[in-house]
Amino acid sequence: MLFSFDWLQSCCPVDSSVEQVAEALTSRGLTVDAVTAAGDDWALDVDIPANRPDCLGHRGLAREVSAALGFALVAPESPDGDVEDAATDWVRVRIDDPELCSRYTAGRVRGVKIGPSPDWVVRRLEVCGLRSISNVVDASNLVMLELGHPVHFFDYAKLAGNDAVPEIVVRPAAKGERLKTLDGVQRELDTATLVIADARRPLALAGVIGGADTELSDETSDVLIEAARFDPVSVRATARRLTAQTDASFRFERGVDPETATEAQALARRLLVELAQGKPDPVLVDVYPGRGPAARLSLRSSEVERLLGYQPGIDAIEEALRALQLQPQRQGDEQVEISVPSWRMDLELEADLVEEVARHIGYDQIPSSTARLGLPVESGRSTESEEARDILAAVGFHEAFGYAMIAQDEDNAFIRDGKLPAAALQNPIAEQMSHLRRSILPGLLRATELNLRRGSRNVRLFECGHVFLPGEAANPPHEPAHLGIAWAGVPEPGHWSRSDRELDLYDLMGVVERVLGGLRPGIELKRDRPAGPSGFHPLTGFCWRTQGGDELAWGGALHPDLQQRIDVPVFLAEIDLDAVGRIPAQRGLYTEIPRVPAVTRDVAIVTTGEQSYDDIVTALRSIEAPAPAAFTALDRYEGQPLAEGEASLTLRVTLRPLAKTLTDPETEQYRQSLMSHLEGLSGVRIRS
Amino acid sequence: MLERTFETELAAAATDADAIEALRLRFLGRKGELPALMKQLGKLSSEERPQAGQQINVLKKKVQEAIASAVERSRAESQQRELAGRPLDVSLPSRLPWTGSLHPVTQTRRELETIFREMGYSVESGPEVEDDFHNFEALNMPPNHPARDAQDTFYVEGGLVLRTHTSPVQIRTMESRKPPIRMICPGRVYRRDMDATHLPMFHQLEALVVDRGISMADLKGTLNSVWKRFFGKELEMRLRPGYFPFVEPGCEYDVRRADGEWVELGGAGMVHPAVFRSVGLDPQQYSGFAFGLGIDRIAMIRHGIRDLRLLVENDVRFLEQFPR
Repeated sequence: MLFSFDWLQSCCPVDSSVEQVAEALTSRGLTVDAVTAAGDDWALDVDIPANRPDCLGHRGLAREVSAALGFALVAPESPDGDVEDAATDWVRVRIDDPELCSRYTAGRVRGVKIGPSPDWVVRRLEVCGLRSISNVVDASNLVMLELGHPVHFFDYAKLAGNDAVPEIVVRPAAKGERLKTLDGVQRELDTATLVIADARRPLALAGVIGGADTELSDETSDVLIEAARFDPVSVRATARRLTAQTDASFRFERGVDPETATEAQALARRLLVELAQGKPDPVLVDVYPGRGPAARLSLRSSEVERLLGYQPGIDAIEEALRALQLQPQRQGDEQVEISVPSWRMDLELEADLVEEVARHIGYDQIPSSTARLGLPVESGRSTESEEARDILAAVGFHEAFGYAMIAQDEDNAFIRDGKLPAAALQNPIAEQMSHLRRSILPGLLRATELNLRRGSRNVRLFECGHVFLPGEAANPPHEPAHLGIAWAGVPEPGHWSRSDRELDLYDLMGVVERVLGGLRPGIELKRDRPAGPSGFHPLTGFCWRTQGGDELAWGGALHPDLQQRIDVPVFLAEIDLDAVGRIPAQRGLYTEIPRVPAVTRDVAIVTTGEQSYDDIVTALRSIEAPAPAAFTALDRYEGQPLAEGEASLTLRVTLRPLAKTLTDPETEQYRQSLMSHLEGLSGVRIRS
Repeated sequence: MLERTFETELAAAATDADAIEALRLRFLGRKGELPALMKQLGKLSSEERPQAGQQINVLKKKVQEAIASAVERSRAESQQRELAGRPLDVSLPSRLPWTGSLHPVTQTRRELETIFREMGYSVESGPEVEDDFHNFEALNMPPNHPARDAQDTFYVEGGLVLRTHTSPVQIRTMESRKPPIRMICPGRVYRRDMDATHLPMFHQLEALVVDRGISMADLKGTLNSVWKRFFGKELEMRLRPGYFPFVEPGCEYDVRRADGEWVELGGAGMVHPAVFRSVGLDPQQYSGFAFGLGIDRIAMIRHGIRDLRLLVENDVRFLEQFPR
């Protein structure tokens, strides 16, 4: 909020500079974001915390200036004239719901001459960021800016009563009632909305905005002044529901001091006389069902010490509270009691008073200590995400960060059919950020495209983050940690000693298996090809399972539909780190190192593709071997002179006896049994 | 006779490794001249045999030594030749494996986590889609509390929200564990705000310490030592009164940069009695402090990054500047 330095000085005549005042306020938690010269005056942009509505006016902020710098406050306008309870011969006021309106005052000024405001008013409003409208409207703004108490002016002539005397009723709106507000919007009201009405119709949304019907115009002569206190929650709810936040609702929803209503009336009256030559009615109508005794709070010096970590002493405590006008009374040597002033609605607890004391004495007086450190506690957090990050960075991938919010169709591409749809945001910030991701891949794909578009020829990205899998019924989404990998470009850095090879799916598999093998050393994985999400190429999409069949990760090349807009092949994979985390981590057990050399034998075959590599190796593993055997593919070839769909495959088996060297006949006999087994497999023949 | 032949031929072979090897085979090989001589020993009488055998052995030893030294000479010469050659052009590009990187936010988070872990804090986490109780109510922000304005909230269907801060993890930790509590909770948070200085998703780290007799002095001391370790030197720090509904007294804390400017790092304060009551702790028995910071902001300071948007754009040319 913007404050005028000149105006603050008129409330508390300090002889300090504007910089000193700004510094004092900032050190008390009322942060001055900027000080700007405004002619002879200065504008202070002060960040008023939500719990200090008493500082949403110059007089309230001046209290802090006074407390900080020790200058006395100028006494406020004293209410004058007679006070009537509920009715005079010119208005009758009734509050139907005292919970929502604890005080309503009405005053009247007659014969105002609507016209422009004098220069000093225009300037003051300008410093505070408001535009001058007319002398009468400006008067209401001056009251609000001085006291922090919004007032509303009705055109008295337009109020209706059942008989001659106009009525003001504070009541919930009836269902179906409508009100055209000052901003020209026709609003549908409901019973949760508190309105100011006359005998016939709603006139204003209580504490939020006035109605067009009773708006002041150039013909206005008599003005009815409203100064009231409305319930913060109700005003906030109304302003939210009708999306009509105003300077008034901003203050009411934070809490307006009911006691300043009469001060506001007096000031409004004086300004209407001074600026618009009005004639004030001597009588003020004041309906105050919420009047009650001020709350009392005690503060023990021991509590100050407990929370601040030092003892400023009871005298300093009392002095701090006095400077803040909390009128402390000593109770013995270790306690003071205060009566909470009506404007300090934020003071509810002893801890609140501790803060007041700390603020006044200065947070810089609090000592620094770390003496009370206990024993460390175990973290419950899993480590898979961190380890996976390290592995991927070590094999050359760059960590990316993507939004959790994405477009629904992007998300669908990387989720298998039959899953619950993505959770929708009710108030997305952008159309393409409307849902919570169920996969990391759409974001990575976007990032990959962006990088390729910007001229990068090698994109290796990963992201570790949560995905949001909606739960059944009203359960919150399940949030497993996933790892996404995107790869486009070449498999290895280029080098002058050789030519580049093309990136393919087996490169991607290797990286994923490096991660899985790093997280769970020795894990036995099986690749499988269930129907994948539609974003993957139908012929290359696949997944990794544990031997028990649990899916841990999935990947593939991009579907041609998505690939066609990108000129470099993109490979994607996603790992469910929570699923990996469920696999018990084992400390590797030592196995004995063979003391005799290993023996290798190669077998060359041609397959028709009927049997996968894994099928063949699985079949060969079942053959009894003279020593532990390991199989690998040495070479694979498709093309002439082989028939279409055929591939030649050279398998290498390595026999690793532990202690006794294998003899040639033993090895040869094993090789022969491999050959005869292969010959028996359908779709496989021995290459001559 | 044989000895002379050998010596002549060895001299002829000079340092030619192949010729030396051929000579070795000719004289010492299985079917070489010396084994052949040995075989003829049988033809001699038993008187002559020992002396002849001894002579052959002497000769064999001589040949072996001569060949060994010839081999060594040859090796030395060829090594010398090799070492006299042109050195490797070490300036040619090496065969460097791919270099990967960790996001500056991750690196910053880890550094902070390490500092806190070494101070005995546990690292906790919680859901990013939260209920109203944990994100607001338990933190002394009942429905329609004006402080909710400051946290433009994303609402998720089903009455849930994307957490606007990591504070709900503090609540969940206090719900599940008795004091003493010393924890941090780093994580992603969401606010409905997007411009040059705000992202709708960013990273916070909050710390919470709850025990008997914890005071604001402990908060101050802790902040001092955390930032001293993070920035590597003692920085002037200040606490300013500040309002957060879940702390009382509350404050904001700044550190002074080398150029004298104060930089705001986060909010802090003593856990509000209402927060303790919402998790069933007696505020007269226990006290505690909490503080928070924006990891993204600290990462920007740590790496001199000026544009916030770089953090989520995922441009490889940005990311690869933080190799690991």
